[in-house]
Amino acid sequence: MKSSRTLGLVMIAPAAIMIVLFFLMPVVLTAVFSMTSMTTATGISGGVYQIAPNSLIALKSAMPDIAAEMAEPRYTIDDAGLKAVEGLGLAPGIAAELRAKHTGEVFPTRRDVERMIKDLAERPSTREVKQISEQFNRSVLNTRFDSKEQLFSALDSLGFKLTPEQKETVARVTYTGWTWTTDNFSRMATSPDMARVLFNTVLYVALVLMLFNVGYALLLAILTHYMPPTPASIFRGIWLLPRITPVVIYVMLWKWLAWDSGFISILMGKFGYPPKNYLLDNAYNAWFFVVLINGFIGASMGMLVFSSAMKAIPKSQFYASEVDGASRWQQIRYIILPQMRWPILFVTCYQTLSLLASFNEILLATNGGPGNATEVWALSAYHTALRNYAGNLEYGLGAAMALVLVVIGVAMSLLYLRVFSYGTLVAKPLIED
Amino acid sequence: MTILPTLKSLAVAAAILASTSAIALAKDVHISVWAGGTGPNDVYRLDAIEIAAQQLQREAALKGEELKITVEKKPYSAWEDFKQALTLAAEAKTAPNIVVSGHEDIAPWSQAGLIVPIEDYVDLDSWPLSDIYENLLQIASYNGTVYGIPQDSESRPMFFWKPYMKAIGYSDADLDALPQSVQDGKYTMKNLLEDAKKMQDKGLVQAGYGFYPRPSNGPDYWQFYTSFGGTMEEGGKLVFDKGAMTRTYQFFADAVKTGVTKKNHIGMPGDQWWKEVATGKAGIWDGGTWHYARLVNQEGLKDFFGNVIFTLIPAGEGGKANTLTHPLVYLLTAGHNQEDTEIAAQLVKIASEPRTNALHAVKSAHLGISKSEATVDFYSADRWTREATERLLPHANAMPNNSDFGKYWNIMWKNLEASWTGAKTVDAAIGDAESELKSTLGDKIVIR
Repeated sequence: MKSSRTLGLVMIAPAAIMIVLFFLMPVVLTAVFSMTSMTTATGISGGVYQIAPNSLIALKSAMPDIAAEMAEPRYTIDDAGLKAVEGLGLAPGIAAELRAKHTGEVFPTRRDVERMIKDLAERPSTREVKQISEQFNRSVLNTRFDSKEQLFSALDSLGFKLTPEQKETVARVTYTGWTWTTDNFSRMATSPDMARVLFNTVLYVALVLMLFNVGYALLLAILTHYMPPTPASIFRGIWLLPRITPVVIYVMLWKWLAWDSGFISILMGKFGYPPKNYLLDNAYNAWFFVVLINGFIGASMGMLVFSSAMKAIPKSQFYASEVDGASRWQQIRYIILPQMRWPILFVTCYQTLSLLASFNEILLATNGGPGNATEVWALSAYHTALRNYAGNLEYGLGAAMALVLVVIGVAMSLLYLRVFSYGTLVAKPLIED
Repeated sequence: MTILPTLKSLAVAAAILASTSAIALAKDVHISVWAGGTGPNDVYRLDAIEIAAQQLQREAALKGEELKITVEKKPYSAWEDFKQALTLAAEAKTAPNIVVSGHEDIAPWSQAGLIVPIEDYVDLDSWPLSDIYENLLQIASYNGTVYGIPQDSESRPMFFWKPYMKAIGYSDADLDALPQSVQDGKYTMKNLLEDAKKMQDKGLVQAGYGFYPRPSNGPDYWQFYTSFGGTMEEGGKLVFDKGAMTRTYQFFADAVKTGVTKKNHIGMPGDQWWKEVATGKAGIWDGGTWHYARLVNQEGLKDFFGNVIFTLIPAGEGGKANTLTHPLVYLLTAGHNQEDTEIAAQLVKIASEPRTNALHAVKSAHLGISKSEATVDFYSADRWTREATERLLPHANAMPNNSDFGKYWNIMWKNLEASWTGAKTVDAAIGDAESELKSTLGDKIVIR
């Protein structure tokens, strides 16, 4: 028994590793990222300490004198620098000429000192010029330090007299990387646009779910239930087409239908209406098309589930009801619907979760427009974290938004498992070994 | 320090040693270059690097070195895809050696350590780099360090369809004087909306086609903000001028209200927009100097100068006539070995030579980057580049190189779109923009 249990664990190990890697880790990482201020500008892998003119702006209000001193770039031709140049192994005339003609000179920028170096009799190559100028750099400006210690030791060696607190302030304002923060969540809570996006998401899920994924799917299933088998199969097959068509092509067909020079505009033109982009004309139109596009895809799954569930209803019940003179509506009302409770509940649950996370059709059709009217939560998270025109990808905020979806999804899954009595479903069989 | 001076010296010394001692040793270098916003007219962004590679190989051969450079080119037509791909590739340490992107990316990318300063690898005082317009080099710098070499320059004019302007009462002389009149602030945004309305009222263009601006997000919209007196950055801090932004949002809301611009204009298919402005379906529109190439080469507008007149973006209330230059820049990415980056830098330098750059300027209708390019006959003989350079470039602003500008831009655009489409009132959009800017940028932005 014991060995078979071990064997079981071994056999399940690959699946367990996959689950951890591809299901659990993304959620954990999303949660971790959501607590950071990561953006394109901070990078993902961590930052450095760089005293740059722009970071000194923040320091100016706290320590104006020190900030002004740090802002001063200096290249000083001093003895230490000259010795270092001698040690570079370049033509000896270079160091000698520098020592003789330029000792003690101070240059405000690197380009100035490099111009002087280029004017030396033994003109160094561009690479050598860079090497030489670096030896005279007596400024911390624009130098990148990997750690606080390096920054502090550079400050010490350049003669800045700073208290430990002041050093920490310098380190804080000059850090280029991301920091841990809960700002993403407070931004989400206070932003009026986020509230709008949340409302859009609820509207989107509710409309598509009720009108199509459940409502229309049920209608299709009932209609085909009363059809002869062959036309019923053909009819169901047609309704599967949106599901099996590649989504880009499918949405492109809708766009051709709805834009200024598309089918609807041409048709309406016959009645004297000027052409317009029906898809993006206004928020109502955009919503109309977004719901249709997603609904036509989503209806097929419910239709299949409901159709097969209806097939499982014993035929005798229909025969008996017909003998009793029941109408079609009465059959639907008293035979079909009561027995469809669980399939309906299942489709509702499943489709809610998939609609919450889906955005590709909206991205392709309206990209959230017009005026962010159809921007749903998942699409907004994608725009924030991974794709926008300004190229400023806010990984932290995007992850926080994704985390909200994860939390809602998990909460709803747990609720559904309870509604479905998952415990009963997977209970141990009565016949035990 | 990230690059300790000593380590750096050692690396450079080693590179020098390697390059001198390895005479006659064949060197195979693979240089990859990616360019954003690159359509069929902009191929020289990539091809110039290939031309430069041939030149560098020949120079190496004369020095007795055998250098073989393979250039791998990758154009991206859309900006969103390009920036996403590049950012993620750079984070994954698989970025190309050279990137051609907008100058506004220098701030965030350099702060994140994704790019290295090009001034560490090339001599800015030597030709052709010494000849590049000083203001363009400034735009390619961040924190006083030159990170990129301008690949092109451009500006974004307002275009008017001449036959319709004549039909609403402008004489030839009036039209010839229009660019100056715009520049002097005599012809304003208000006049523009009035003319657009007249064109529609006369039935010259359909409703919503009088003023037909860029149908998607882009740097163009900052020109309108400037036009209404807005400032993007001051003393290193971003600035959100509520009055100017309100007037900007209101301008587009008014354009929609008076019916000269379509409410659903944003998000329309790009191909449709191009076709419409090239065939006289629209009366007045804004765009880039490079639109000339697209209109003439792809959209079949043969008599451009007979049909179109271009000016600065007119002044609005509180502002002045202006245009925006948005130079793309050649950038070197971090994470490659010193020698490859050195060669990449040399290629960028050679690609910036006037005759090579003029190929790009003329083919794509962008503007030149250096003084001597203006004297290249091939460039100066081209009417478009000559006139556009004279009329627009002296008045060009640029977006700030600020690592937080992207966040500001996203918020500005989102609310402009919302007030344009009527999803929010102008006041609500301004209020939302203000509160989001405050919570996002804190004291990094001045709100006034």
